[in-house]
Amino acid sequence: MRVKSMGIEFTRRDFLKLASSAGLGIFISPRLTSAVFKTQAEKKSATKVDIVVVENGSPAEMVQRAVSGIGGMSRFVKQGNVVVVKPNMSWDRLPKFGATTHPEVVAEVVRLCLEAGAKKVKVFDRTLNEPRRCYRHTGIQKAVKAVGGDVFFMYKRNYVKVPIPKGIRIKSWEVYRDVLEADVLINVPVVKHHGLTRVSMGIKNLMGFLGQNRGRLHRHFDQKIVDIATVLKPQLTILDATRVLLRNGPQGGNLQDVKWFHTIVVGTDMVATDSYGAKFFGFQGSELGYLREAHARGLGEIDLTKLIIRKINLDKLNSAEARG
Amino acid sequence: MSQYLRRIRLAAQIFSLCLFVFLFLQAVYPYHPFFPVQTMLQWSPLVALLTLLSSHHVVAAMWPAALILFLTLFLGRFFCGWVCPLGTIIDGFDYLIRPKKKLLSSSSRFRWWKFAILTFVVITAIAGSQLAWVFDPLVIVNRVLTVAIFPIFVFFTEAILGLLWNVQFLDKTLFGIHRFLQSFLLPLHQPYFRQGGTILVLFLLILLLSGLGRRFWCRNFCPLGALLGIFSKYRILQRVVSEQCDSCNVCYFNCRMNAIKADCLSFNKVECINSFECAAVCPKGAVTYRFGWSPKSSPIDLSRRRFLTAGAVGLLGVGLLGLDFPDRNKRGSLIRPPGALSEDQFLDRCIRCQECVRICATTGAFLQPAWLEAGWEGIWSPVGDARYGYCEYTCNLCAQVCPTGAIHLLTLAEKQQTKIGTAYFDKSRCIPWYSGDDCMVCEEHCPTPEKAIVFREGEFVTAHGKVKKVKYPYVIEERCIGCGICVNRCPVEGKPGIFLTRDGEQRY
Repeated sequence: MRVKSMGIEFTRRDFLKLASSAGLGIFISPRLTSAVFKTQAEKKSATKVDIVVVENGSPAEMVQRAVSGIGGMSRFVKQGNVVVVKPNMSWDRLPKFGATTHPEVVAEVVRLCLEAGAKKVKVFDRTLNEPRRCYRHTGIQKAVKAVGGDVFFMYKRNYVKVPIPKGIRIKSWEVYRDVLEADVLINVPVVKHHGLTRVSMGIKNLMGFLGQNRGRLHRHFDQKIVDIATVLKPQLTILDATRVLLRNGPQGGNLQDVKWFHTIVVGTDMVATDSYGAKFFGFQGSELGYLREAHARGLGEIDLTKLIIRKINLDKLNSAEARG
Repeated sequence: MSQYLRRIRLAAQIFSLCLFVFLFLQAVYPYHPFFPVQTMLQWSPLVALLTLLSSHHVVAAMWPAALILFLTLFLGRFFCGWVCPLGTIIDGFDYLIRPKKKLLSSSSRFRWWKFAILTFVVITAIAGSQLAWVFDPLVIVNRVLTVAIFPIFVFFTEAILGLLWNVQFLDKTLFGIHRFLQSFLLPLHQPYFRQGGTILVLFLLILLLSGLGRRFWCRNFCPLGALLGIFSKYRILQRVVSEQCDSCNVCYFNCRMNAIKADCLSFNKVECINSFECAAVCPKGAVTYRFGWSPKSSPIDLSRRRFLTAGAVGLLGVGLLGLDFPDRNKRGSLIRPPGALSEDQFLDRCIRCQECVRICATTGAFLQPAWLEAGWEGIWSPVGDARYGYCEYTCNLCAQVCPTGAIHLLTLAEKQQTKIGTAYFDKSRCIPWYSGDDCMVCEEHCPTPEKAIVFREGEFVTAHGKVKKVKYPYVIEERCIGCGICVNRCPVEGKPGIFLTRDGEQRY
């Protein structure tokens, strides 16, 4: 994925013209066809599903089943590809607190990428507490290293200023170079409560790729985060809802706020997966401001009834390994 | 045999300096040292004596200091010549600049100063103010390494890498090199410290004293040397000169401590640091060292009058410090590390070695050496500064590396409930309070399980009379532990919208 500098200044009017025509086009054509052929598509092939939800298994097994349900890792990762896997390891918290992605989930994703022939799988995050602590205590560093992934700390000189031609609030932002140079981007966020966006999932997780002072993004956050999402588009989003931090997010720290759902949600449409993820909080996707914004700008589908969702229940909760 | 001894000494010096630097570099997160990084700081008998006298507390981990004093009774000031890192650095510097021998090299005029300084610091310690932190050589080296030399090293390494980074084809290689250096040497972020300049300049002054004569600091000013000198008054490791000596004075001129008399035969037991230089340079090979008891002792270079003067100055100094502020415990709004003893005890124990400051720089980067915020007595003591960093919720490393127990070691669970201060909103600066726009950065970062920063929705009236809804943030005082991350991450530039005071702090 490469972003080329366009050097074009958009006025709001330009944007609205473009967005209405392009957005309408994007929105109508594929959705229309998919709606028409939905029932047939469902019968024809499992690879046509939009979202796969796997429940009640061990983290690794759920990831495996979910990815194969969406078409297998080889659908996204080709021989010799460089893959960036983006977990949430922003906080210096143990996995059980639900503030960060489950290490077994991340490790399994990395393993599947390597199995599909990836040359290199890179895992990194711009953390909010001290990076060494976060990488360690979340358990992700160790788990990813064990399966052969490359975990490293982000280097301040390695950011590239990326123009955001479709941005409303921001016109450019620094993004880590490895992200721009990667062939495949896989987003592996954890589903958790967040004071500003209410729920933090895939789109919010993209912030870990950004440089500069991210505190500045917090005013008019919904629009700004969608601006970012217009240039950073992961091919695959894997929501970790093995356990969900329901209150006191995004950092948590209290086991009473964590509920185990034993669920993995996989999809190619980052708006759709986030919309599904809102269900863990009892919301509709449309109740989240940033998702409405993302949908309106044509980044993906927010209405779950328009999507083909396949649910798999592994029903292995009683076995000890599934307890994570 | 004589060359041998000198080489062994040199090896020991280099080894102990390397050990010192190695331990210094080990004081980082993740903290898995071979043995505690503060070990060598605990070897200093001066620190042990003065903290004992001022705080009336024996730090058990400082037993090696007692062992060194005991050995000094027999061996003399071997610590100065073989172990002391400052001594080694001064020796190295002397070798570089080769001070002129004529100048004060062979002068004994200032020798009494170190005994006067020792008297002064002992009296002040007894009277209640510990000053080992000003003079102790191990502390001096650790401090300058922490706040000046290491950050400068990091800065230039990063600067060179940064310059090369602009060469397009090099960046992949450089990234690899950088990752490798980070794995054992470079921190993830440039450490920033206040007081780096002051501390570096004072250190350089000590080195530059060598322009007046070799080991000028050790001979004339070091109170640790004086203390060890007193213990080596009756040492049994004797310098023996055979009859082959023709008083050529080569040893006399080569003695860096000026411990040999001009007749070449007799030596000063109080001043000799066993460098074995005299044995090595003697053209006749007439000098050897042997164990043997002799009732002949060397005098301490301090007249009764000077002794009394130094003591009086010490008492006067403590008196003035005591008049500086009514209650040591109530001074200022300083945030101390979690687990810090009561301010009174803290100042008596803290030797300003900056070990906590160093390790903190690799996690939360909260602690900084103070200047005069804590009064004259508190110079370079660690204080939390939330504009530099914050106290990491899952960290208690500062207490783990404290050599004197000035920071009481709490378990992580205890530490997470220990209050070091309280945060307050500055409503004229905080975004929701002054502009009515939502902001939640402080709430997001607040690490306590039940967040100490909570929101309550209210109405905001703009300057134009418009009313809008806004989430106002509040601090719940009893939940706030004063870690300062809210202050650190506050997006308001300049003076932040939230500030930290030591209200409600718990001391041990």
